[in-house]
Amino acid sequence: MHLRGPNIWTYRPVIEVWLDIGRFEQLPSHTLPGFTQRLTDWLPGLAQHRCGVGEPGGFLLRLDEGTWIGHILEHVVLELQTLAGMRTGFGKTRQVKEGSGIYKMAFRTRNEAVGRMALEEARNLVLAAVNDQPYDIAATVIKLTDMVDSLCLGPSTSCIVDAAGEQRIPFIRLTEGNLVQLGHGSRQRRIWTAETDRTSAIAEYISSDKDLTKSLLSSCGVPVPAGRIVESADEAWEEAQDLGLPVVIKPVDGNHGRGVSIELSTKAHIEEAFELALIHGSEVIVERFIRGNEHRLLVVGGKVVAAARGESAWVIGDGLASIQELVDSQLNTDSRRGHGEDFPLNRIDIDQDVAIQLELARQGFDSHSVPEHGMEVLIQRNGNVAIDCTDEVHSDIEELVVLATQVVGLDIAGVDLVVEDVSKPLIEQGGAIVEVNAGPGLLTHLKPAVGYPRPVGGAIISHLFPKGDRGRIPIVGITGTSHTTEIARLIAWLLRLSGEKVGLACQEGLFLDRRQVSTRHSVNFDAGQRLLMNRTVSAVVIETDAKAILKEGLSYDRSTVAIVTDTQGAESLNEFFISEDQQVFDVMRTMVDVVLPDGFAILNAAEPSVMGMAPLCDGTVILYHASESLAAIIEHRTNHGRAVFVREGQVILARGNEELTLNARGSLKLNDSGVLTENTILAAAAATWAMGLPPELIRAGIETFEAEHASAHPPGSSVKAKKKK
Amino acid sequence: MEISKTRALRGPNLWSRHTSLEVIVNCDEAEQDISSIAHFEERIRNRFPQLANLQSRQLPRPVTVAHVLELAMLGLQAQAGCPVTFSRTQVTNEPGTYQVIVEYSEEPVGKMALASAEALIRAALNDTAFNLEDVLSNLRELDEDVRLGPSTGAIVHAAAARGIPFRRLTSGSLVQFGWGSRQRRIQAAEMDCTSAISESIAQDKELTKRLLEAAGVPVPTGRPVRDAEDAWAAALEIGLPVVVKPQDGNQGKGVTVNIDDREPLEIAYSVASEFRDDVMVEKYLAGHDFRLLVVGDKLVAAARREPPMVVGNGKQTIRELVEQVNADPRRGTGHATSLTKIRLDEIATAQLAMQGFTADSVPDKGARVVLRNNANLSTGGTATDVTDDVHPELAARAVDAAHMVGLDVCGVDVICDTVLKPLEAQGGGIVEVNAAPGLRMHLSPSFGKGRDVGAAIIGNLFPEGEDGRIPVVAVTGTNGKTTTVRLIAHLLGASGLRVGMTNTDGVYVNGRQIDSGDCAGPKSARNVLLNPTVDAAVFETARGGILREGLAFDRCQVGVVTNIGSGDHLGLNYISSVEDLAVLKRVVVQNISPDGMAVLNAADPIVVPMAENCPGKVTFFALDRHLPVMAAHRARGKPVVYVEEGAVIAEEGTRKYAIPLKNIPVTREGAIGFQLQNVMAAVAAVWAVNSDWYSISQGLFTFRAEQHNVPGRFNFFDYKGATVIADYGHNPDAMKALVEAVEALPAQRRSVVISGAGDRRDDDIRDQTRILGAAFDHVLLYQDACQRGRVDGEVIALLREGLEGATRTTTIEEIRGEFVAIDMALQGLQAGDLCLILVDQVEEALAHIAQRVKASDSGNTH
Repeated sequence: MHLRGPNIWTYRPVIEVWLDIGRFEQLPSHTLPGFTQRLTDWLPGLAQHRCGVGEPGGFLLRLDEGTWIGHILEHVVLELQTLAGMRTGFGKTRQVKEGSGIYKMAFRTRNEAVGRMALEEARNLVLAAVNDQPYDIAATVIKLTDMVDSLCLGPSTSCIVDAAGEQRIPFIRLTEGNLVQLGHGSRQRRIWTAETDRTSAIAEYISSDKDLTKSLLSSCGVPVPAGRIVESADEAWEEAQDLGLPVVIKPVDGNHGRGVSIELSTKAHIEEAFELALIHGSEVIVERFIRGNEHRLLVVGGKVVAAARGESAWVIGDGLASIQELVDSQLNTDSRRGHGEDFPLNRIDIDQDVAIQLELARQGFDSHSVPEHGMEVLIQRNGNVAIDCTDEVHSDIEELVVLATQVVGLDIAGVDLVVEDVSKPLIEQGGAIVEVNAGPGLLTHLKPAVGYPRPVGGAIISHLFPKGDRGRIPIVGITGTSHTTEIARLIAWLLRLSGEKVGLACQEGLFLDRRQVSTRHSVNFDAGQRLLMNRTVSAVVIETDAKAILKEGLSYDRSTVAIVTDTQGAESLNEFFISEDQQVFDVMRTMVDVVLPDGFAILNAAEPSVMGMAPLCDGTVILYHASESLAAIIEHRTNHGRAVFVREGQVILARGNEELTLNARGSLKLNDSGVLTENTILAAAAATWAMGLPPELIRAGIETFEAEHASAHPPGSSVKAKKKK
Repeated sequence: MEISKTRALRGPNLWSRHTSLEVIVNCDEAEQDISSIAHFEERIRNRFPQLANLQSRQLPRPVTVAHVLELAMLGLQAQAGCPVTFSRTQVTNEPGTYQVIVEYSEEPVGKMALASAEALIRAALNDTAFNLEDVLSNLRELDEDVRLGPSTGAIVHAAAARGIPFRRLTSGSLVQFGWGSRQRRIQAAEMDCTSAISESIAQDKELTKRLLEAAGVPVPTGRPVRDAEDAWAAALEIGLPVVVKPQDGNQGKGVTVNIDDREPLEIAYSVASEFRDDVMVEKYLAGHDFRLLVVGDKLVAAARREPPMVVGNGKQTIRELVEQVNADPRRGTGHATSLTKIRLDEIATAQLAMQGFTADSVPDKGARVVLRNNANLSTGGTATDVTDDVHPELAARAVDAAHMVGLDVCGVDVICDTVLKPLEAQGGGIVEVNAAPGLRMHLSPSFGKGRDVGAAIIGNLFPEGEDGRIPVVAVTGTNGKTTTVRLIAHLLGASGLRVGMTNTDGVYVNGRQIDSGDCAGPKSARNVLLNPTVDAAVFETARGGILREGLAFDRCQVGVVTNIGSGDHLGLNYISSVEDLAVLKRVVVQNISPDGMAVLNAADPIVVPMAENCPGKVTFFALDRHLPVMAAHRARGKPVVYVEEGAVIAEEGTRKYAIPLKNIPVTREGAIGFQLQNVMAAVAAVWAVNSDWYSISQGLFTFRAEQHNVPGRFNFFDYKGATVIADYGHNPDAMKALVEAVEALPAQRRSVVISGAGDRRDDDIRDQTRILGAAFDHVLLYQDACQRGRVDGEVIALLREGLEGATRTTTIEEIRGEFVAIDMALQGLQAGDLCLILVDQVEEALAHIAQRVKASDSGNTH
């Protein structure tokens, strides 16, 4: 089972596996000859697993002492995921019943498919180790790594999502790609790698048109490589003199630098370059040559948050080796060079890189040429832009770069800049901005080849969510077996009255504001997520039950309010190996566990097992019960706690000794209410009071609920009729 | 006939507010009276019968070829469908030379019309052929090509109706509305706030469907299925009828629709699985295609769309039926009409084949034969407006859909029987949402009422009452413009605005110089209006730019005319008198917005009458509030600015603000008269934008006309105890002002260094020294670096002539080279002397003086 939300094991998504280990119940690890050795040969990383002991080596100790195969499987799964590049840590294995051989094992995974595959391979691996059969660990790791690369969030997106996590901002992945919703409901924002929902499509269009970008930038005083299209070699020379030598001559529509000649200063060279460019494009442009290094500056919301510099790559000839050989021995040996996103620098493969071929051709070489001893050969003019220089950027450059993004209209952009020294003003050095890119890659700044990584994910999160905004809307969770749907509907109605756009998922279906969107039983993960994805919803009320928590986990990570009416119903959970109330408690407590520190647990004071959850709550506990003389309520109030109860037919909202009467005018007749039970009113009043609704509004809402409820429903399906099981 | 110059006047100009071509035409003697050219009129009318009547009484006598060119350019554009009406031919002071001004709606079309009109006239003169039909169709084609498409056009039109300025940023449909920091952009029906992510979502049909479903919007739900068994299970979950199709399939291959039983479903599954392994079962939606247009949170238009089709009559072939339909005069070929001709092309043939027809089949009477699978207007479909029929619940779902995807302008495709009922009540659904939807079907539907969707989009970009304009102050006049512009910019900046400024020294945005050189023309001003960081703009508006291109803006909030005096640069570009110059500079005043303000110099009799031409209010300024113009204006409770009791006073009705001159350092406590003029003009201008008097007075206090601030404008130096003043004055009025200012300063001996610019009239050059001769003891004449067309020594001779009979001057020296002259003047100075240096190469000369001052050891500048 993939538990997608907070669950009985942990707050985060896990895969829960039921294992029947059969004969292995009698065969703990130390009884299997050579097993541990084979296992650790294949997976030396297991030595780092802490397990119960709490320090590296803990798990090895357990293997030596003898531990059961389910537990071993758990560690193997986690290790395989780690080897595949997925960061996880949590795993737990519990026997369902002493001596039964049946275990529930849960392990953290960031992707269900990867998790399932890792599990399958872990089983194969463990069995191979048991049976002393060969196992191709390398192939498995490659397979899993490929899956991680294609199925998990890319590095740019994950750095943003991780930063959101650090700010306690929830996220929902909307596709298998990199489209992610941050926050919930009406407070949500979306990102798609380094694009945000504020990234303008028109701005992207502008940035993709280099000439348009250049002309807009230059109109606003941002230095760009000035240039002009020329018709003839003579005109090219004239224009070059106007622009100032040296110049670049290139075809307007060329690619990979074909037909580009740079740093031209003489008439002869310029005329030659014109002819060359003409071969490779329909029109030829002469541009001022900008001396310096290529820089990439990342701008987020009007600030430069990271900057990196490129460096040219050279080899030195020895009179024997070819350029390709020199590249391999002098450049590709660098440990930072490799293939794929994890390496800050690419391996240089001259045959695959037209730009390098052209650079060599300009020097009169190709990859097979053998330069003389001591001769320096330029391989890449601007190699990978990967040397962090964030702290060096001059304020004048920052100002111009930010202006460039504003002119184009992008909130997040990677600005390419050519300048000799980024720590000095741009214009006096003759530097220029050459490109403004939408959806820039963040990896350069996360994994620079030289220098510190920059917290660009955090910068994007602060841009999307100003300080203190966590993108959260109020979430009210309700669980138990007694009138939970009724409570949910009443709270939804009260919140609507207070002006919220309310989403409600309960047994009776899914509701958006007044509208019933689905009549299907909606106590499940998907229904809850559906509400949280809705961009208009400003508050949600989600009913849940033990079964849903066991099967899928909660549909939200944290809640504002958790209401628990009781912990009944163990008898219906036999399929989950649950038979005792204490086990139900362990399931239901998840609700209270996820209450935010500024949230509330609304607990039925009459149920001792529910009362047992009070210490688990990070937020405030509010008790409810008809009688104020209940010992739990008296004690809670003595400690300045909050409680809701009935006195002489009136609902009292109490905080320590302070009391508010909900039905001050006495118009709310509890006992006459045709629909609502007393506990429903108390729980709902407690929840909405906790959320800051004024008592008058709560009272008015309770009074009008019945009428509203009747009108919102098709005839013949009253709450009463539905309530009967 | 010879055309010596063509200019595109891209903004309000000397002749009109219309964008126009101005052509300088030289006619030989015969061409100055067409009646003297045998058969000319007859020949030209034969070639272009629609040419306006040349015998019209509106035309002067004799009618010249220039006039014919004018009428031909206008007539050709009109015949090609361009909405142009303005034209004029102006006789110049050069015999046989005319200025022909003809409006254009698109510059390239105007230029082509000019070339065509010229060809027409030559054809008539030489009695050669002229193919009118070709010419007109070329013009039409070019016009269709370059003008805005119907969607963008409708939005731009709506903006214009609300007084929102616009500017095309590309030859495509990217348009900027408003200016500076208040600007917005659109590209067709896409706004600058339209999110790229939302557009990507809209392009992903499955993702869109999932999101819409989450939002409770009815969509054809479905899921991938494993096998025929699972397909039936899925069909039951979804509810019959269903569609079975290959996932990501295209062009309807392998798709079976409207399946309502198990057996056909199984067949459909096997058909679909032949095309792809992944098969989908989806809810089948029946009904019409509707397109709902959502803008912001409102449904603004809805249309029912039908694919191109013909209805059989049992007699004619499909080909004949299509021809019949295409005979409808409303069906055109481009985007301009509400219907487009149906094409019987490959796609149509394939579509026919799927229905078992060829183009030559004869369908039964009443049979509907669809010729294309989509209902786009551009391929011959039809659209019927149903906006008023849409049920509010249905409209709400369309808005939900747009909102969920995140599109602020969104075309929502709906399939249902009728829009009169909610979708849920009829099993309808939303099948697609489109970013940047076409608007043509709503603007000019084939049937029903057109909807002003452009206005809805503009309303979304600019809330009621906002027009995207930032305050624009245009400053013109003969002298003091640059300082006034700098002062105004400084004062606006002091109130917290980010100011863009253009003047003869460059372009400045928020204090940063982004361009240098003479930037007092419209190009630089347009750049400032484009800059997203500019909250207010101040433009020096020189004559050259107005003549060359017109104004950079359609109207400004404040127009300042510092003075006209006796003018400058007279004799150039057919501006030969002070009156001509006044008419030209008046263009600024004429194009002040109705709620704007003209700031006019009440002491200048040529400036005062411009008040009559101002669509907005007028503030007069003058030192003396008792001038009749000032007194009358003040008596009527209108705003005036003057100087009284050592303070600059701004007064309007009962409101009165005073700023003591001692707190305005640039005037040297009022001693420098022309700076007082500049201060009054600037105060009046800023007052019209923002009457925060605290920031105005603070700004005046912090403004110093030092070298770094206004180079070449009365820059003070202290050289060995003598006062040296450098200035770039170069016309008689400037001389007068300088003399006045210099006389207010105490000094023992006074000397002046001057050269004359060769491009002035002889009289104007003489006048300069005539004025100086009354105020300076010693005059050093030097030869200008650039003689601007004069022979060597000619200018110096004129300057000398001006000094004949000078009342004060006792010594005159002639020197070659500006720096030599400066050095010589400095050498002769003693403590307490005063030397005015009229610099020519401003930057170099100032640097030179500064260096000398520094070397003299007493190097403090004020």
